[in-house]
Amino acid sequence: MAEPQPPTRSRFPGSGLAKGLAVTLRTMTRKTVTEQYPDVQPELPPRTRGVIGLFEENCTVCMLCARECPDWCIYIDSHKETVPAATPGGRERSRNVLDRFAIDFSLCMYCGICIEVCPFDALFWSPEFEYSETDIRDLTHERDKLREWMWTVPAPPALDPGAEEPKELAAARKTAEKLAAQQEAAVAGSAERPAVQPESAGAGAGPATPPAAGAGPGTAPPAAPDGSEPHADEQARATEGPTRPAGESKQQTDRPRREGRE
Amino acid sequence: MTLAATAGQLASGATTTAAGAHGFLSPTGVEIAFLLVGLVTFGAALVTVTTRQLVHAALWLVVTLGGLAVEYLLLTAEFIAWVQVLIYVGSVVVLLLFGLMLTRAPIGRSPDADSGNRWAALAVAVAAAAALVWVVVDAFRTTWIDLDGPAAGSTRVTGQSLFQNWVLPFEALSVLLLAALVGAIVLSRKATADAATAATGVKEATTATDVTEATEVTDSAEGRGGAADQADKGGVR
Amino acid sequence: MNDALDVTLRLLIVFVVFLALPLIVGQTEHKVMAHMQGRLGPMYAGGFHGWAQLVADGVKFAQKEDVVPTGADRRIFQLAPAVALLPYLLVLLAIPIAPGEGAVGQAIDAGVFFVLAVMGVGVLGSLMAGWASANKFSLLGGLRTAAQLLAYELPMLLAAASVAMAAGTVSLPGILDAFEWWWLPWQIVGAIVFFVAGLAELQRPPFDMPVADSEIIFGAYTEYTGLRFALFLLAEYAGIVVLCGLTTVLFLGGWHGPWGADGLGWVWTLLKTAVLAFVVIWLRVTYPRLREDQLQKLSWTLLVPLSLAQIALTGIVKVVIQ
Repeated sequence: MAEPQPPTRSRFPGSGLAKGLAVTLRTMTRKTVTEQYPDVQPELPPRTRGVIGLFEENCTVCMLCARECPDWCIYIDSHKETVPAATPGGRERSRNVLDRFAIDFSLCMYCGICIEVCPFDALFWSPEFEYSETDIRDLTHERDKLREWMWTVPAPPALDPGAEEPKELAAARKTAEKLAAQQEAAVAGSAERPAVQPESAGAGAGPATPPAAGAGPGTAPPAAPDGSEPHADEQARATEGPTRPAGESKQQTDRPRREGRE
Repeated sequence: MTLAATAGQLASGATTTAAGAHGFLSPTGVEIAFLLVGLVTFGAALVTVTTRQLVHAALWLVVTLGGLAVEYLLLTAEFIAWVQVLIYVGSVVVLLLFGLMLTRAPIGRSPDADSGNRWAALAVAVAAAAALVWVVVDAFRTTWIDLDGPAAGSTRVTGQSLFQNWVLPFEALSVLLLAALVGAIVLSRKATADAATAATGVKEATTATDVTEATEVTDSAEGRGGAADQADKGGVR
Repeated sequence: MNDALDVTLRLLIVFVVFLALPLIVGQTEHKVMAHMQGRLGPMYAGGFHGWAQLVADGVKFAQKEDVVPTGADRRIFQLAPAVALLPYLLVLLAIPIAPGEGAVGQAIDAGVFFVLAVMGVGVLGSLMAGWASANKFSLLGGLRTAAQLLAYELPMLLAAASVAMAAGTVSLPGILDAFEWWWLPWQIVGAIVFFVAGLAELQRPPFDMPVADSEIIFGAYTEYTGLRFALFLLAEYAGIVVLCGLTTVLFLGGWHGPWGADGLGWVWTLLKTAVLAFVVIWLRVTYPRLREDQLQKLSWTLLVPLSLAQIALTGIVKVVIQ
């Protein structure tokens, strides 16, 4: 029963063998660590990357997600509609209407770049992971299905104690304080300097961001704080120049790009 | 294969003679079984020496030796029968197969398995068989085994006769085997010692033995690789 | 007529035991190994803790296609599983589980030699399978099987001979009749040598070099599918049962136990066999596979000298107590 080479210096030959036996026997008497998955759902950590949900009301067909996707697995079709001028004599405005939004999860590598890059919080991670199919084509989730996943998106987890304040809140507070200071100044100056007003209106776009970001708190909570950093900047820029996506929307299907890829 | 041939001839000769010597009318069931098993053993022995497939020959040898064990059993020599199975089927044939696989064991016929001097081999086999049959018949001419009485070949009886009446031949055989054993060890040690000195030059005695062990291991590993190549060729063919 | 009925009944019982006990050992292995690795093992088949897993496996095996490779030696390839399995059935016939004539399939005069001889024949099946598969992994597996058998047959035989010397008989019931409790410490070295050598002969881990999956896939059984493969697996587990039963009978006193001598002998035999089977599984879970040279070294430099020393000790004690 003794081994040719005792692994460690031990008093008795074969004590290492006995130790090995003791380890397995002890393990046998302990509780197992097996996940009873199909019977018991796993407890997934927050921010689990299961599937991507689409909140299509927020989507402006800016194509950033499709463009940034490393796997080219997001397909977007859209067309332009002109909106009649709001005021008589005003300019007609065009806006993009989403026709198709699909993610091919057989290609997706769950990097999450589309969600990071979305300026309007239209994409969210959902922890759902049980969507295997017997046909690979069924793994291309169309708009309706992506919308269904949206209802499974959980509320963002609470911040860690002592963590930095979310960027949105910080920006909003800063603007509000600025505004309050200006109003005080205005009250103090009492219409001495009307030229301040346009400036404050420009800065006032800041407070407008939280409602835009929180467009879905009733239905679905806003994106996780880690996704908020680029999103706040982007949104601020978007409000400054609202025509930018429209100006870029000459080609809003992905077909030319797919041809280029081939 | 001459060994197998001799063994087969030996077996067949012994069994057929025993069956033929008792050729009375109204044979008992044991006698019929003995005859049938003897025929099977004889047939297997013939196939062993005539088949062109090496491994088949070894496996037919298993049948031959097993049949012989059954004959022993029918003669109530239980101990001898099991020792026959243990030594010949369990060890000798396994060693034979091991050697075959290690060197050359193609699947299918091997054309060089046929020997040119088959008639000489046949003559030797027949002569050996005749001599053995003559000796056996002459020695046990009037001896009859009472199959109904107490077992004549039980372990106790065999042991008693072996260590009371036949102890000198037994010991002589033991010494012979011991000599063979020592000879094998001496031969192998000499060969490996030469190899070790040739390979490593002057070294400490302890390290030299280590080296010999190592070379032995690599040798055997190469042997297996070669066997695998052989098998591959056999498979292709 | 009564004799014929008796014989039929015995054969039937042995056959049922032959089919049932290996399955029980296999299922125990599933569960014990799983729990020793912090897992649960099979949980679904049959409902309660996967008790019917091996039955389900058997059904699966029976459904599979029986493939014979093109280059294989067809007849030997197909014959090999039977050669591997049948010897264990025969051995089971000779193992007594309780005192008296009624508790053994067939009382054999030279029982020890019978069981060892027939167990050695079982290895021939692996050799045939290894050669006939026309696969170099199979051939290597067969070679390793043969080398292992040659190395471990000797210590096993010597250890068994020691007990036979102690008892003064080679009949298995005879050995048990002569058994005294103090044989246990007296023959303990022989018992360990016998058990270890038996494990090696069965190619159980840690001596599973001939079927080392990381090197030669599954050794001699690489090309087998379906029912024939299942027969090889059954042979392995039947081998465990036989080895544990033999060790029980030869070294652990079989039906002898501290309590319940009358009528409960078979319980003791089964209990000891079960404990040994657990040890077999335990060793498998605990130890890594021995390398080929370690394997040979263990046999020739440790087990053979130990068994020879045991024989010497047995002889001395035997002479002294007479």
